Amino acid sequence: MSGIESENLDGAILIRLSGEVDLSWSQQVRHAVLAALESNPVVGVELSQVSYIDSSGIAALVEGFQTARARGSKFALVSVSDAVRAVLELARLDRVFLIVADRSAMLG
Amino acid sequence: MSLARRTARPPVTARTVDAARTLAFLADLSQAFAVSLDLRKTLPEALNRVADFMQAEGASLFLLEPATRVLECRICVGPVDMSGVRLAIGQGVVGLAVSDNATQLVTDAANDPRVWRAGDEGSGFVTKSLLCAPLATAVGPIGAIELVNRRDGEPFGAEDAEMLRLIAAPTALAINNARMANDLVEQQRMKREFDLARKLQKSLLPKRRRGLFPVLGVNLPAHEISGDFYDYFELADGRIGFVVGDISGKGLDAALLMIRAASLLRWAGKDGLAPGAWLARANEELCETTHDGRFVCALVGYCDRDANAVQLAGAGFPPVLTYKRGAFSEYESGGPPLGIMAGIAYEQHEIALNGGALYAFSDGATDVRNADGTRLGSAGVRELIARHAMQAPDARLRGLLSDLKHLKLVDDTTLLLVEKARSHDAQVLLEHHMPARAEHLRDMRNALRKLLDQLGIEPALRDRLVLAVDEACTNIIRHAYGAEGHGGIGLRVSRAEDVLSFELTDDAPCVDPKRMKPRPLGECRAGGLGIALIDTVMDTWHVEPASSKCGNRLILRKRIEDKGYT
Repeated sequence: MSGIESENLDGAILIRLSGEVDLSWSQQVRHAVLAALESNPVVGVELSQVSYIDSSGIAALVEGFQTARARGSKFALVSVSDAVRAVLELARLDRVFLIVADRSAMLG
Repeated sequence: MSLARRTARPPVTARTVDAARTLAFLADLSQAFAVSLDLRKTLPEALNRVADFMQAEGASLFLLEPATRVLECRICVGPVDMSGVRLAIGQGVVGLAVSDNATQLVTDAANDPRVWRAGDEGSGFVTKSLLCAPLATAVGPIGAIELVNRRDGEPFGAEDAEMLRLIAAPTALAINNARMANDLVEQQRMKREFDLARKLQKSLLPKRRRGLFPVLGVNLPAHEISGDFYDYFELADGRIGFVVGDISGKGLDAALLMIRAASLLRWAGKDGLAPGAWLARANEELCETTHDGRFVCALVGYCDRDANAVQLAGAGFPPVLTYKRGAFSEYESGGPPLGIMAGIAYEQHEIALNGGALYAFSDGATDVRNADGTRLGSAGVRELIARHAMQAPDARLRGLLSDLKHLKLVDDTTLLLVEKARSHDAQVLLEHHMPARAEHLRDMRNALRKLLDQLGIEPALRDRLVLAVDEACTNIIRHAYGAEGHGGIGLRVSRAEDVLSFELTDDAPCVDPKRMKPRPLGECRAGGLGIALIDTVMDTWHVEPASSKCGNRLILRKRIEDKGYT
């Protein structure tokens, strides 16, 4: 099923998305990402369980990336699934985001 | 009361008798002009009556030739025949009446510098007094009436001048009316001739063949009648002959030459001559009879019913283009235009088309102007062909034509397409209806994914196609219907040969296609990514109104690779 879970790590937050990210709940993703960036210097979005993402989901991630950069925070995509990677590549955004293999790489 | 009035009337004088006579004369004159538009009949009669009424020895009527601006004496009554005398504007009394648009009165002709004396020389006639009034119209004088010598020997006076001015008015009006009527008749005659030529031309174009036929032509005239033509016909051995031609020049005589050239080329082609010999024979015939500098550019050829092999030759015709698996080839014409020089041999081409398409364009297509005034050129035509390559032949030619129409057409344009005819009946693979709300997108994606799997589309392409269709639906939900709107979205997937079409219809207000522009990919911002993704994934897409009132149809197309080649 589609869903958002957040995990607090020391000084960092990991948002775990799962299922198909589309227009029906991409606004929730956006709010979760922006809220996490309010109070954490490091924010990761874990995408290994995401089987589909559309442009509205990508837009939520882009907004997170821009907000983090403006604040000097760190924003990373963590364990990106093949489905998400394919869309990032299609949109030529795969080199824009910081993409890391796992949570330890995000914290490092 | 009536008695009192009558006694109060002024006494009848010579002057009032004159006025009554003048009015009666003017009325008669106007009526004579009104009865007939034939100036050759009405004008000489009128001029005779004017000379009598004015008690003049002679009278002449000069008309201004609009083209040359020369005054010529058209009608003359009296002792000296002035017919055909030509004067410049400003020359002599007549010329001055026209240049100054004012009545000229000469009381002593012998000593008046205005008088042009050549008329008297050798005739024994002595000009004593002259009176000349311009034929004035709203656009200036169109000529003048001149009177010579009063019959009583007295010089013309101011009253005579006033009288002639009054007479000139209805005369000018009558001439003007008759000229306009003539112009109208001439225009109608020309229109009839053009209509006839156009009908004749249309009757020469071949009828559309029913069923599968490998040759298709269209003609888009830049003006009322065309100098272009095309033709195709079947030979007894099963081959199909085709012709495209372009006549130099415009207008009726070009149209008539076109009719001749078209029948000549058809006649020579039906003998099954090789294309080079076919052109050579038509050239001999045309050279014998065409001497006015006109010539005919033509392309002739044959193909088999499956359009696998094409044999063709060109005479001064623009290069022929073939389009096969995304690549173009060009074949130059084999000789000069027809009708210029006899005894020419035309080189021919053998083209293995094998499933590709052959396009022959008259130079009208490459001469089409872009919005910035530059010629479309061969590269532009190639781009147009590639843009429409995905469509069935009929729709493709219509699409090409409509693109050319949007550009500025400077010449007649003819397109001929040779391509193996396929059954282009699209096979509908999926019909899916959903409410235009985001929570229903998932079901649509599942249905589409399932279908694409059944078709054997490899997963990476499948996911991209699903993404593009999903983005299209998202766009409809967010932008076409908007926040308040609600309605449905219909998805129909169909396949024609190796092209998949995804057709999305909605009932939302019509969208402006110009506002649907992809933004550059890789640009890191949140909006406008959807259309860029559709643009990247699909080969072509466009939006059109679903009906005249509201609703949109978004059509996305993707060529999927034929199994068996990569």
